[in-house]
Amino acid sequence: MIFYLLRRLAGAVVLLLIVTMAVFAIFFLIPRLGGATSDQLAARYVGKSPTPAAIEQVKHSLGLDKSVPVQYGRFVKGIVAGKDYDTGVRKVHCAPPCLGFSFRNNLEVWPRLQDRIPVTLSLAAGAAVIWLLAGVSIGVISALKRGSLWDRFSMGFALAGVSLPPFFTGLVALALFSYQWPIFKGVHYVPFLDNPASWAWNLVLPWLTLAFLYAALYARLTRAGMLETMSEDYIRTARAKGLRERDVIVKHGLRAALTPILTIFGMDVGLLLGGAILTEQVYSLNGVGKFAVEAIGQQDLPEVLGVTMIAAIFVILANLVVDLLYAVVDPRVRT
Amino acid sequence: MKHPVTRRRRTQALIGMVAVTAMAATACGGGGGGSKKYSPSNKAITEVVNQSTKKGGTLKLVSSDKFDSLDPGDMYYASAWNFSRLMARPLLTFKPAPGNASYEFAPDLATDVGKTDDGGKTWTYHLRKGVKYEDGTEVKASDVKYAVERTFDKEILPNGPGYFAQYLDPDGTYKGPYKDSAPDKLGLNAIETPDDYTIVFKMKEPFADFNYLAALPQTAPVPPAKDTGKEYVKHPIASGAYMVDGQYEPGKAVNLVRNPNWDQATDPLRKALPDRIELLEKQDANDVDNRLFAGTAQLDVVGTGVQAAAQNKILTDKKLADNADDAISGALAYLAVSSKTPPFDNVHCRRAVQYAVNKSQLQRAQGGEVGSDIATNLMPPTLAGSKVTDMYPNGAKHTGDVAKAKDELKQCGKADGFSTVLTARANRPKEVAGATSVQNALAKVGIKVEIRQYPSGDYFSQFAGVPKWVAENKVGIMFMQWGPDFPTQFGFFQQIVDGRAIKPAGGTNLSELNDPAVNGLIDQATRTIDPAQSAAIWQQLDQKVMESAVIVPFGWTKSLLYRPSNVTNLVVTPAYSGMYDYLNIGIQ
Amino acid sequence: MTAPIETTGVAREAHPEAIADAAGARIEGRSLGQIAWARFRRDRVAMAGGVVIIFMVLVAIFAPLITDVIGGGPTEYHDDLLDPVLNIPTGSFGGASWDHPLGLEPVNGRDIFSRICYGARISMLVAFLATLLSVVLGVVLGTVAGYFGGWVDGLISRAMDVFLAFPLLLFAIAIGSSLQGEAFGLHGDTLRITVLIFVIGFFSWPYIARIVRGQTLSLREREFVEAARSLGATDRHIIFKELLPNLVGPILVYSTLLIPTNILFEAALSYLGVGVQEPTASWGGMLSAATPRYQDAPMFMVVPGVTIFITVLAFNLLGDGLRDALDPRSR
Repeated sequence: MIFYLLRRLAGAVVLLLIVTMAVFAIFFLIPRLGGATSDQLAARYVGKSPTPAAIEQVKHSLGLDKSVPVQYGRFVKGIVAGKDYDTGVRKVHCAPPCLGFSFRNNLEVWPRLQDRIPVTLSLAAGAAVIWLLAGVSIGVISALKRGSLWDRFSMGFALAGVSLPPFFTGLVALALFSYQWPIFKGVHYVPFLDNPASWAWNLVLPWLTLAFLYAALYARLTRAGMLETMSEDYIRTARAKGLRERDVIVKHGLRAALTPILTIFGMDVGLLLGGAILTEQVYSLNGVGKFAVEAIGQQDLPEVLGVTMIAAIFVILANLVVDLLYAVVDPRVRT
Repeated sequence: MKHPVTRRRRTQALIGMVAVTAMAATACGGGGGGSKKYSPSNKAITEVVNQSTKKGGTLKLVSSDKFDSLDPGDMYYASAWNFSRLMARPLLTFKPAPGNASYEFAPDLATDVGKTDDGGKTWTYHLRKGVKYEDGTEVKASDVKYAVERTFDKEILPNGPGYFAQYLDPDGTYKGPYKDSAPDKLGLNAIETPDDYTIVFKMKEPFADFNYLAALPQTAPVPPAKDTGKEYVKHPIASGAYMVDGQYEPGKAVNLVRNPNWDQATDPLRKALPDRIELLEKQDANDVDNRLFAGTAQLDVVGTGVQAAAQNKILTDKKLADNADDAISGALAYLAVSSKTPPFDNVHCRRAVQYAVNKSQLQRAQGGEVGSDIATNLMPPTLAGSKVTDMYPNGAKHTGDVAKAKDELKQCGKADGFSTVLTARANRPKEVAGATSVQNALAKVGIKVEIRQYPSGDYFSQFAGVPKWVAENKVGIMFMQWGPDFPTQFGFFQQIVDGRAIKPAGGTNLSELNDPAVNGLIDQATRTIDPAQSAAIWQQLDQKVMESAVIVPFGWTKSLLYRPSNVTNLVVTPAYSGMYDYLNIGIQ
Repeated sequence: MTAPIETTGVAREAHPEAIADAAGARIEGRSLGQIAWARFRRDRVAMAGGVVIIFMVLVAIFAPLITDVIGGGPTEYHDDLLDPVLNIPTGSFGGASWDHPLGLEPVNGRDIFSRICYGARISMLVAFLATLLSVVLGVVLGTVAGYFGGWVDGLISRAMDVFLAFPLLLFAIAIGSSLQGEAFGLHGDTLRITVLIFVIGFFSWPYIARIVRGQTLSLREREFVEAARSLGATDRHIIFKELLPNLVGPILVYSTLLIPTNILFEAALSYLGVGVQEPTASWGGMLSAATPRYQDAPMFMVVPGVTIFITVLAFNLLGDGLRDALDPRSR
């Protein structure tokens, strides 16, 4: 078991390295392949009126005059060992995991990112609870009452759900429930500890927008999974043994049908923690996703690197948790 | 067994379609023009609204953006300059008064405006006695010198304007205090501090507008012992009536509380009414407007006006319109036509553009009648001595004169038209909308325009502001908006039409106009002391530039501002781009 | 397997094993294709989806002809039909009229119907080509991994894991925005469309590759493959003549279900500002422009949103129908 755990962890670290390398490649190699020079890259970060001397200084202080592997090495070293930073007056030590300093804002990336995580966490966690409960129960009921009015109605809604872009659902929700009938007026993030009621009230529309999409998806998945499981031989055996229908469904059918759903659930939540970009954009929630869009818009490499790292870590962690749960449940995978 | 598959899914599809269409149709119900309209009252443009001296309360401010910095030495946004004065006292500032009175200097840290006795080379300021920082130490003249020195180091503080380095140290020998070998870090020879209350700026060439530099937030004192370089933004040391409570969190929030060591006796300007000022940054723009309407926030700090949706609410609701001001921002929106890229090196081809553009559409792109006034010459009407002229009349509503444009094209030798490239800033929807209008208008006279968009952060440093890039990409027309750093004719013209302002990168003379006659007029005007005479010269310069047709002016921009009724002492200040003056705002 | 982005994950739903089983099973008399077609023809909802898709494709192809008759050009201004003060169309439903059936944009008064027609070109072009790219990549890599196994399989499978752990939308925006201006000798819309196709296509191949790999793995051990191998058939022959024909079913279903995902992906990227630029029309771009005006010009937002919805729904219905036709068990 310990060996298995170590191997998975090592795999996760390798994955992280590859992800950061890819971000590096995107920001350093692709513009250069497109013909930009390091002077042009540096000129982006000098302010309104760049003099050649200032560009040279910035190129040096950002390390743009070093080779790409050296720059990448510095970034990794920063995460492991931290790095020093010249404020002009003194050297400040940025403790590990140091994600570096924003080129544009002159500030440490990590604390700014930390500010954003609770927003995305609140959004993703609330939405996940809603979509898992709604999606799975709708799916199960639909599967059990196949062909009924309920089945048709809910699957119709699910089909609409998977065909709607969340930025449109969000806009319509805003237009209807924030503007036309101002039930949720002025959606903005309120920290949970400041006022839990207001926190929840403000997040209702974003939660529903995000959950709608996934609930639809999970309902379809659950229904399909349930239908398949319920036609398996062992269910027939269980029924033949004279078990109560309820026990057959819950103990045998549901368990088997839900295992793959949970795997996907782990991945989805992991991906969302890295930024529910579209939902945050529509509702102007200052979460990780909006942070990423802004950082990319400003071509602020350290911020983009930081946020992608965080996003990838969430995905990898979620995968790890799912894998470990599997290993606990099913000893055969520990190979 | 036959599955009812077809019927099942038919119902599904139907339900999905009906649900979505119903929701969408409900959303569509509202809207539509044609309702009764009201004009903004514009009260705060001519007077200070809700005058009051009532102290106390918490002033709640919001911003849909964030400041470029809160360090007075590192900021370029007009809103940041305006806001910084709550905490920091520059040598001079502008009078918190309506209209042209706001252009008058008000001595702040200094006792009087700067004096020169050698025609503008040497400027002397005397500091008020007893001005204290938040920690109780007294402000010294050397702190002002140190603050100015800091602005020399673009690596540590990249955002602010570079005028001090440009005028005090044109050769670039001084690298700023952080790289200064002098033990007190005061190695800049061009500034002298003969005693703790006197500061003298010395330049090699005369500069008549130096007092405007003294009014930049960069002259607010910074105690060298408390300077934290790049981190100073988190807690600039206050010399004004308020200080940062804890730390500024950029892009999130800053709270100001009273500076216990600020003394009203040393400060004739500040009323210091609220007990506490709270600012939330990065709020949703539409939500900001709604909070202003509801009075739950007192001010939008960005100061560029409400969003389109709120604009239309104001214009159709008398109560809202009564509390709204349509303020002239002092900026000019224009098309810079290259004087170098063929065939625009021929003045007639440039004039063809002057006649062809549809300024009525461009005005719509700027937000309509409340978003800008149609401009037909350069100098905004807010500047002293400006006179509206129209050298290239193109229709009663300025919708374009195809015949005259074609005539100019013929004279240019391009009767069959040509192709060119137009640049605009991708993240400015007003420019993008304008660009498509220009494309359509020029197509009518046979000029084929390709639109290219670039991010505004890099527009001057990498694209339109780089002559080499402009030449290589054969760019003919560039979208541009220019608001001067200080409200003088010199500030307005010099950076956009003076041939000596052309830089290898980051310049704002996008047309690359380098006309000895124009340059000469600028020099002549700066040497002329009599305001009436110099105004006449600037007027002549305006005409000269229009003759050369390198600038196609189309809008003097305005911002529609909203003031909640519970805010006191609100007045629009043209000195800070036509936003409300933030110095003395209070809450009822 | 999971959805590439927040947008949707319809693609993950097909049941490849079942489809392949159906495809593999030979029934005497009628070919698999005939059976499937007969079944599909009875499925009128899926047929309706198909009709909508054909209609949309035709609209995209003949956009210039259609808009000559109704609406006018996609960049033509009709600012005389706007309220002079409020900058929005006069009349209800966004200024809808016989000349402009879906109303006008605020600010410049361009015809929304016309822009929807031209936007269909971008959506369809990007979605089809990106899907084609990912199907080609996915089939090649999936077959190679499944057929040869060993370290080749290990490498490709790891690569798929990496792709699935990527925050894809984030990466796609990063690439899109770092390639502004000129690159690779391209600029403007040509560059942006190329980037969109490659980014979307490149990030979607693992979804296809996983299925194909799984199918190849199981087919490889089947008797007919064994038989071919014992007769001395080359790898090439086995892959092209024995394996691929049996993979056509799942690949077809999967591609059909990947197209709507890619339409949504393109719309999302355009919405976030890395798609084609003004004045070129795209559905996502229109929604993005309409976002700040949802209060005073709701029609502007509803039309592109509903268009995306109908198109994506049509593809999903068609994909579902194809799956049902190819796999009778999956209802």
